[in-house]
Amino acid sequence: MEELGRIHQLIIPFFGHNMTFNLEVIVMTWIVFIMILAFGFFAAKNRRIIPGPVQIMGELFVNQLYGLTEDAMDKELGQKYGPLICALFLFLLLSNWAGLLPFMEEPTKDLNTPLSMGLMGFFIAHYAGIRAKGFKGYIKEYFEPIFFMMPLNLIGELAKVVSISFRLFGNIMGGSIIIMVVSHLTYSVLLPPFLNAFFTIFVGTIQAFVFTMLTIVYIAVQVK
Amino acid sequence: MAIEGTHIVQAAAFLGAGLSMGLGAIGPGVGEGLAAAKACEAIGKNPVEAGLLTRTMLVGQAVSESTGIYALVIALLLLFVV
Amino acid sequence: MTDDIQVWVKVAAFIGGGMAMGFGAIGAAIGEGYTAAKANEAIARSPQISGDLFKTMLLGQAIAETASIFALIIAMLLLFADFSNVSTLTISIFLSSGLCMGLGAIGSGIGSGLPTGEACTGIVRQPGMKNRITTIMLAGSAIAQSPAIFALVTSLILLFVDFTGRPVSPTWAAIIGAGFASGLGAIGSGIGEGLVAKSGCEGIARQPLAATRTTNVMLLGMAVTETTAIYGLLIACILIFKSFPAAESIASSMALLGAGLCMGIGAIGPGIGEGFTAQSAVKWISRSESSTAQLTRSMLVGQAVAESTGIYALVISLVLIFVI
Repeated sequence: MEELGRIHQLIIPFFGHNMTFNLEVIVMTWIVFIMILAFGFFAAKNRRIIPGPVQIMGELFVNQLYGLTEDAMDKELGQKYGPLICALFLFLLLSNWAGLLPFMEEPTKDLNTPLSMGLMGFFIAHYAGIRAKGFKGYIKEYFEPIFFMMPLNLIGELAKVVSISFRLFGNIMGGSIIIMVVSHLTYSVLLPPFLNAFFTIFVGTIQAFVFTMLTIVYIAVQVK
Repeated sequence: MAIEGTHIVQAAAFLGAGLSMGLGAIGPGVGEGLAAAKACEAIGKNPVEAGLLTRTMLVGQAVSESTGIYALVIALLLLFVV
Repeated sequence: MTDDIQVWVKVAAFIGGGMAMGFGAIGAAIGEGYTAAKANEAIARSPQISGDLFKTMLLGQAIAETASIFALIIAMLLLFADFSNVSTLTISIFLSSGLCMGLGAIGSGIGSGLPTGEACTGIVRQPGMKNRITTIMLAGSAIAQSPAIFALVTSLILLFVDFTGRPVSPTWAAIIGAGFASGLGAIGSGIGEGLVAKSGCEGIARQPLAATRTTNVMLLGMAVTETTAIYGLLIACILIFKSFPAAESIASSMALLGAGLCMGIGAIGPGIGEGFTAQSAVKWISRSESSTAQLTRSMLVGQAVAESTGIYALVISLVLIFVI
């Protein structure tokens, strides 16, 4: 059980500070990028009226997510933010599933990945809010309902980032720790495949979807 | 093992932070769940307005979550400031 | 001095066993009582199928009883434990194991009584759907037991993992904290999942044509409701398996105890709240099947937001464990 919480690190000195990189996460993130690019490449390679299997998958996927985005916002904004949402969902889905393959780890298991995704969603949502309402209208929202609620509104907005990223992180890391502990206790007999099926495939898919939905909804709330 | 006053104060701060966040999470959890339950009911009755209802639900939940956020702020203050 | 420790270990084991069975009996009794009340109501409405109703009631009560049987097992293990080779840490292990199982059985006991009661009402309403309703009821009650199973797993890990060589000072608090995290954390999810399964049974009885969709959304809602119990189990696992360095000051012990209490108590509210949300979503899917997609989406978003306070509790616990 010593591997609990241990990570391979790369430490680079930088102007007197030690910059710490988590090597596993960086490599795994790049592998997930390559998988997404390969999927996109094969889905779009031979586009035909009668689509091949990969093209069908790609079309279904894009249609569904564009539909979700357009439902929550409107037609025009949905077209604008659709690609972002598609990319976010595909990245999170493949990241959460990466732990299924031998010698691979989920990049989302490290807090930095969910936190950066959450911050990205936060900044995009607020940018969209400023674009839609103007800077004055955007600032005014923080002084609702009374002016002294401003600090609490501000903390409320920041807490959204904490909750969205820790939700993904807690579920994925929790799943992998529970899989590790139970496999260790049962000498890896019988149980691990079922645990993997539940925690990685099922919970991973739901959490990727929830993260994407919440990002959509946060953008939609800021815009309206 | 000599127990010093500062240690006891620190211990109380840690325990208090845990209790603050733990107890503070009960109310908002149930309340937000009820808000979402009513939103689901409303969507079941009137599916056309699903987008509007979901947004309203989120705003209501954000407001009812504020007490949970106060608990979080107090817990963080106890941990890092006091 | 060794005799002294042995006395205290025995005291801890007996108190732990008492708490396991005492707390563990609360939930199952309430759940089974609810089931019997609903069954009586149903038999009064249509006495001609009283045989079927009686069978369903007994079946459901047998499942609701599982949680308190787990508590009985732990209580027995504690009462007849091996007291020959003990240390100071064993005191907190026995106390924590009993507390964990006792508290963890409350939620699941109540929760798995709820679907059976609703199934009895449903069988009266739609006698033709008896088999389908019974299947859903069995699945729902069995899944509602899983928080109690998490608590059982934690209790067994506590009893059988070797703690020798760990420093007494912070480890005793980590052990007690693990018991609270897993035990208290199971209460909310147990009740919440019971609520979801209840409305699943009701929905199928009301609208048999929507049975497949209702079942799917019910299972999805239950899985999401379970997340807070999984957070509790996670904190318990970390507290048990991470080896903490020896610390003389009482502050580091209290930080670990606080982490366990924070996650345990903090998981109760979100668990129940998520249960309410999924209950309502499942209920309305059976009534307006065409809006399943919108309802599922709103249910997931609503549950995710209702869970956020539970996530703040997780954050505070992780800070208390790793940063302090």
